[in-house]
Parts: sequence; structure tokens; C-alpha cells
Amino acid sequence: MIGLAIDSVLALGIVWMALQTVRSDSLFQAMLMFIVFGLLMSLAWARLHAPDLALAEAAIGAGITGALLLVTWRRLQVHGPDDSNGPRLMTRWLALPIACASALLVIIIGWTALQLPAVPGTAGELTLQRLEDIGVSNPVTGVLLGFRAYDTLMEMAVLLAAWLGARAVATEFRPGVLPGPAHAEVPLVGALLSLVVPISILVAVYLLQAGGSAPGGAFQGGAVLAAGGVLLCLTGRLEAAAQASALERVGVILGLAVFSLTGLIVMATGGPMLALPGVWAIYLVETALLLSIALTLVLLFAAAPGLRRAP
Amino acid sequence: MATPLQTPLQTHSTMTSEALVAVIFLPLLGACAAVMPGRFPARLGIVAGLLPLPGLLVAVTLAVWHDGPAWLELGGWAAPLGIRLFVDPLAVLMLWMVAIIGGIAAAHAWFDFPPGTGTGQKFWPLWLLLISAMNALFLSADLFNLYVCLELVTLTAIPLIALAGSKTAIRASMRYLLLALLASLLYLLGVALLYNATGTLDLYLVSDGLGAAPPMVVTTALALISLGLLLKGAVFPLHIWLPQAHASAPGPVSAVLSALVVKTAIYLLYRLWLWSVPATVAAEGALTLLAVLGAGALLYGGVLALLQERLKLVIAYSTVAQLGYLLLILPMASSSAWPIAWQGGTYQLLSHGLAKAAMFLAAANILHGLGSDRLSDLQRLDQRQPLSLFALAMAGVSIMGLPPSGGFLAKWLLLEATWRSGQWWLLAVLVAGSLLAAAYVFRILAATLRRDDPTEARPAAETRSIPAAQTACALLLALLALAAGFAAAPLLEFIEAGTPGTWSSP
Amino acid sequence: MNPTAVIYVLTAAAIFGIGLYGLLVSRQILRQLLTINLMGGGIFLLLITLGGGAEGPPDPVPQAMVLTGIVIAVSATAFALALLLRWQELSGSSEVDGDAVTDAVTDALDDDE
Repeated sequence: MIGLAIDSVLALGIVWMALQTVRSDSLFQAMLMFIVFGLLMSLAWARLHAPDLALAEAAIGAGITGALLLVTWRRLQVHGPDDSNGPRLMTRWLALPIACASALLVIIIGWTALQLPAVPGTAGELTLQRLEDIGVSNPVTGVLLGFRAYDTLMEMAVLLAAWLGARAVATEFRPGVLPGPAHAEVPLVGALLSLVVPISILVAVYLLQAGGSAPGGAFQGGAVLAAGGVLLCLTGRLEAAAQASALERVGVILGLAVFSLTGLIVMATGGPMLALPGVWAIYLVETALLLSIALTLVLLFAAAPGLRRAP
Repeated sequence: MATPLQTPLQTHSTMTSEALVAVIFLPLLGACAAVMPGRFPARLGIVAGLLPLPGLLVAVTLAVWHDGPAWLELGGWAAPLGIRLFVDPLAVLMLWMVAIIGGIAAAHAWFDFPPGTGTGQKFWPLWLLLISAMNALFLSADLFNLYVCLELVTLTAIPLIALAGSKTAIRASMRYLLLALLASLLYLLGVALLYNATGTLDLYLVSDGLGAAPPMVVTTALALISLGLLLKGAVFPLHIWLPQAHASAPGPVSAVLSALVVKTAIYLLYRLWLWSVPATVAAEGALTLLAVLGAGALLYGGVLALLQERLKLVIAYSTVAQLGYLLLILPMASSSAWPIAWQGGTYQLLSHGLAKAAMFLAAANILHGLGSDRLSDLQRLDQRQPLSLFALAMAGVSIMGLPPSGGFLAKWLLLEATWRSGQWWLLAVLVAGSLLAAAYVFRILAATLRRDDPTEARPAAETRSIPAAQTACALLLALLALAAGFAAAPLLEFIEAGTPGTWSSP
Repeated sequence: MNPTAVIYVLTAAAIFGIGLYGLLVSRQILRQLLTINLMGGGIFLLLITLGGGAEGPPDPVPQAMVLTGIVIAVSATAFALALLLRWQELSGSSEVDGDAVTDAVTDALDDDE
């Protein structure tokens, strides 16, 4: 009963935040509401017995996306006012019935689907039955790096494409301090950083190694590590460079390259493509993924071709 | 329905499997190499990522020719547990198009985006990833994996458009991106529903579960997936993002966008409606609806192509129109003329790809040489850029469907199919579409040959010279489009071998 | 039927609808991006709820799909924000033109020359 009450309140909160994201007059407020929406979603994942998603949503959905939104908003201020009123795609009177109808459709379909008897022999059932073959006990990790490893590989290519795309559309870059809060150094910042950044590394490593048996994995760990990097950018410890160093470039492609080459080597030695030979290979690939994810997210946040240590 | 699924399928020799994997992973690793600084890694990535593709495809083609379609289970996990690749004549044809058009357009781009320097550093990793993503998409047999592939295609194609740098290009990219993201979400919602109803994500296994699922859930899922694909494929009336995006992109990018990228969505519509959906789901109505959209595209795109004042916009609207043909064949799936209709549709896929890529490369050369692609600025093109004009005209012949081009053969087969199946309204649309195509191609040619009013024309001295190789790229594609009209017999036989099964008429 | 599942299906539908409405009526690209992400959240929620999340650990395949979807969403958003910055630099405002149809017809490629 209490659980039901919690779920109801959470659901109302999620819908309310979504509504505010759409309705609030100021764009800045809308972004804040969206970030809170992401945090509430992460609670919903926890309530829905999906802790892996709760971690990912909090770290990536709310955390990194939120940081990206806020820093972009700040950069947009440089060029002019944000709340410009462009024309709409549709008038409200046309959009409202369309939106209501689509929501109704989702309700009806969801309702119908909930009443369906369980289909036997689903991919999910098979996953749980065959999990031992992969050698990990977290079924989500089993799917991501075992049965459907190819999806994860392509997903890394998507992340790489996002960085390449952002780099392609960026204008000529002036090296130097990243646009962020004013850099009047508060004495506490240094002490705080020396605490928070090591913790983010620790948590990332923990999430990576826990992913085999408990909630966690390369994506959650990568996002946490990226959060540490974002902090270093925000406090001026890292600054923008005009070019990505060779090391940074290796880091960005590391996950994709290690994953592909491992799969290809397995195939070349007579195994099936992308069959990771044992748990050690899963951790090898996951470590490479984590480093690439973290570095790519920090570079996307900095919107700079490369980063270097501030003098 | 008798799909290749019911015929026993052997996994091919390991050599074929390795060739299939290489077709996806060589360009992918090439992209990784091209990220590294310097000219050498970039050149290595481009050459190693693109040049071996035709050779690999010869092996794949021979294997499919002799042994029929084949699966490759990734990681050794059988569907529905794992993801598998599926190769059949249609997939082979699409892979060939990527290899040929992607390769020739890459040769054209080599000059404007020198590898490893300046904009070339931004261009090549994206280009190679796009090639890899399209190959992966044409081979994937998994609905969710296809979602990831679609996103990868979108997120590599759009930055390539934006590399043109103009305000129009950036705005077109933005609009394309927003609509493409919306389209992906619709597709994903449909896939979510299908997984829930059938317990599998395999494109060729869903059909087994669809019969037992509630029809409403199935219909909604198929409608959502199709809507997403129609939006990504710029099918009328969801084409609004296409003309500006394709016209404002750099030349080689326009070529690949029109010839290949929009076709990915049409290809998936084929896979969905002709392979995944079993006869138990009343598909006739849906197929007719899709054909009506195709007819709308053919007529609307044709008329708007006639109204454009710029060469690249004419060609872009022509793409909107020509995509219509690909959907027109669908209502004939239950008729006895289906094998002919299928041959015609698939041949249109191929010949339009070649001709349209040739036109965009020629247009890029003209735009670069004259500094303008306004039709009114094109006069005396036969003296200023005779070879580009020649390429444009030859590709135009194929687009119009005049003999002896590949376009002629495709449209002839389509006419024959509509005639035999007694679909008179389709026949009327085909004729009207061809007349419109003839009109807009002639309008371009007439503009290039005009000689009046020398004072108004820009002086010939303004003409910049084009590297001979760039002219050759456009010519080569145009010649291939023309050649597709000859030597078609083995190709058509190959295509026919992959005809998706026909429905028993109700 | 599990009441928790009903609650979350309703939530998913509401978010999807609100997101779609926002996408259609928003005047700013940034807000349109937010609304697309809202719609995605709705789809993810539906996927997990239908996968049995209300009763116990949900089907791992939809979980992996949502995890992949979250990473793809942040990738797409990051690129879109970079594109938006460039767009605003060139034009001085962040509205996207609403009347796309007439726009595409009448627009010329004036700045390409």
C-alpha cells in the first residue's frame, strides 16, 4: 500500500516536471525542470526494479545531459537573448488534440499489452536461462556484452559520431579558458576537488567491476568518471586546446577499436564474430569502453577540440 | 507466405561470413584510423576502408548466387537470443550500391576535403562511419539493432551536410535532425510494442508471433514503425526536410544522401512489409496506402522539381519524386505480376541511385566551376563544362526513363507489371510521373544550351577549372546508370531469385 | 492487473503526449530538444513497465535496450546542442522556422555563393 502511494506521488511528480518543461515561460527554468524530471525518472527505475537504469539515468540522463544543457545555455547567452519567439510548427489548437490522441493511444496499447498472457520463449527468458554461458550474473551486463554485444559496439560508434559531429560543426576555436562560472578561486575549491575527483575515479572503477554481478557497468562508470572531468573543466583545472592531442584521439576511439579488434581476433582464430572469450575479455572491453565514454562526454561538455592542463 | 525463411538455410562457408563482417568493420576501423592526426592514418583509413569492399562483395555475391540467402549469428548466439546478420540478393544489391556510389563519391570528395588536413580531418571519419553504418543496416536482421544503425546513419549524415557551413545548410541540418530524432522515437515505440507482443526482436522471427498477438497492438506497432521510416525516408508528405538538406550539402554528400541514405528507410519498409508481416495480418490496405503516398510523392515532387530555379534543388525534388516509384510496387505484391513488379522496383532502386549520384556530382562540379547553380546562370554550359553537361544529360536520360538506360528498364518493368496486374491507376501515375521527369530534365538541358542575351550571362573568364578526376567521377556514375540498361539479364535474374514471397489472394 | 504497472503506463503515456505537444508548439530549438527527450523517457518507461518491472526485475532485454537508448539520447542531444550553437552564431537567434513547407519551396540557397 505504501509502495503504491510512493509510486503515485512519483508518477505525479514526473508528469508535473514534464509539464513544466513544456510550459514554463523561461527556457532556463524549463531546463532545470527537465533535469529534475531526469532525477525523478531515475527514482522510477529504482521502483521498477531496474537499478542499472536508475544509475544510468541519474549519471547520464540527468547528470551529463543536465551539464550539457546548462553549459550550452550559458554559451547561447554570448550570442544574444535566448527566449526568442520563433514561429511554431503548429498552433496550440491543432497540437493539443494530436498530443491527447497520441497519449490516449499509448494508454490503450499499454493497457492491452499489460493484459496479454506472457509470451513463452522470449529473448529475455532465454537470456536468464543461458546467462551462465557468458560468465556474469548481472543479466543486463550479459545482454550488453554477451548476447547483444553488437548493439553495444554500434552504440559506441553513435557516441563517436556525436563527438565527430560536434567537432565538425564547431566554429574556429580560441584556445584558453572554457566558458564557465567566473574563476575567482575560492580556497575551498581546491580541497573539494582533491576529494571529489579521486572519489569519482573510485566510484567509476567500482561500478565497472561491480557490473558483472551487481548494478553498474561501463556506461554508468564512464558517466561518473566524466562527471569528475566536467568538474575539472568547470573549476578551470582543464582548459581548451585548439587540437586534440594524439592521446586524446586514441582515447576517443579506444572503446570502439578494442571492442572491434577483440571480436575480429576471436573470429580470426576460428570462433564466432564478437564472442568474447571469457570474463577477462568482457572486463578488457568494458575498461576500454569506460575510458572512451568518459573522455568523449567530457570533450562534448567542453565543446572544444581538445583539452589540456591549465598552467 | 513463402519467405526465404521456410527454405532450409545453411550458414555459408567461413570465408563468406568473414567477408560480411569485413564489409561492416573495415570502414568502421577506417573511421577510427582517420580520427588520428596526420595524413597517413587518414589515407590509410580511407583506402583500407573503401577499396576492398568490391572484392569482398564479389565473394558474397557468388556465395548468395550459388547457395542462396544466409545468416550469420553474431557471437554465436542464435536468434531470438542474439543478433544475426542476413544476406540475400536485395541486401547484396544495396551493399554493391554503397560500395560503388560511396567509393566514387569518396574519390570526388578527396579533392574538396583533402585527407588529414583542414576540413578533411572532420569529413573522413564521418564519411567512413556513414558507409559502415549503411552496410550494417542493410545486413542487420534485428529490429533494435536497426534502430541503433538508423541513429548512426542520421548522426553521421547530418554533420556531413552541416560541413557545407552555409546558413542554409545549418538550418536544414537542424530541421533534419529534429525530424529524424522524432522518427527514431516513433520507430522505437513500435519496436517496443512488437517485442512485447512477440518476445523477439528478430526481423524474420516476429512474423511467427504476430498472428497470436492482439491485432490492435500489431497494427499500432506496424503503423508507428512505418511512420518513423516514412519520415526518415522523406516520403511525401513527410519530405519537407529533404530538399534543403540534400541541396545545401557538399556535392559528394548530396550524392550519397539521395542515392543511399534515404533508401535505407525504404529498404526497411520493404523488409518490414514484405518479409516480417505474415499473411494473417491484413496488409493489403496498408500496402495500398503506402502506394498512394508513393503516387503523391511522384506527382508532387515532379511538379515542384519543375518550379525550382536552382539545379541542386531540381535534383533534390526529383529525389522526392523518384522515391515514389519504390512504394508504387507494393499493392502488386499479391498479384501474379509481382516478380516483374519486384524486379522493376529493385531496378529503380539501383538505377536511380547511380543516376542521382551522377547528377549531384555533376551539379557540384558546375556549382564549383561557375560559382552558381541558378538555372539562369547555366547558359552555354556546353562550351564551359561540356563533360559535366554530358554526365548530367546521360543521368537525366536514366531519370526520365528513356532507352537504353537502367531507368528505362526499371520503368518498363513497372509498366508491364501494372498492365498485367490490371492496376490502372498505378499505370496512369507511372506515365504522369515519367512525363514530369522528362519535363524537369529537359528544362535543365534547355537552360544549359540557351545562348540569348550575352550581356546577362556571366563572362566565361569567371569559370574556375575543375580537377579532371572530379569530372570523371560524375561521368563514371552516369555511364554506369546508362550501362545498367545493357547487361541487365544476369542482374535481373539475381534480383528475381530474391523476390519476397507472394500472398495468396484473399 | 498490477496497479503499479497501471500507474507507470499512465505516466508513460502522459509524458509521451506532453512531449509531443511541446515539440509541436515550442518556439525554441532547445526546448524542442527537451521535449524529444521527454517523449523518449515515455517510451523507455513503457518498455520497462511492459517488461514486468512492476512485479520484479524486468526482462533484461528491454533494460539493455533502454540503457542503449539513454546513451544514444545523450549523444544525439550533445550533437544537436553543438549544431544549435553554430546555428545561433550564424543567425543570432535560436528559433527554428515553423513554416517548413513554404520555406522549402521559396527558399533559395543565397548564401552558398
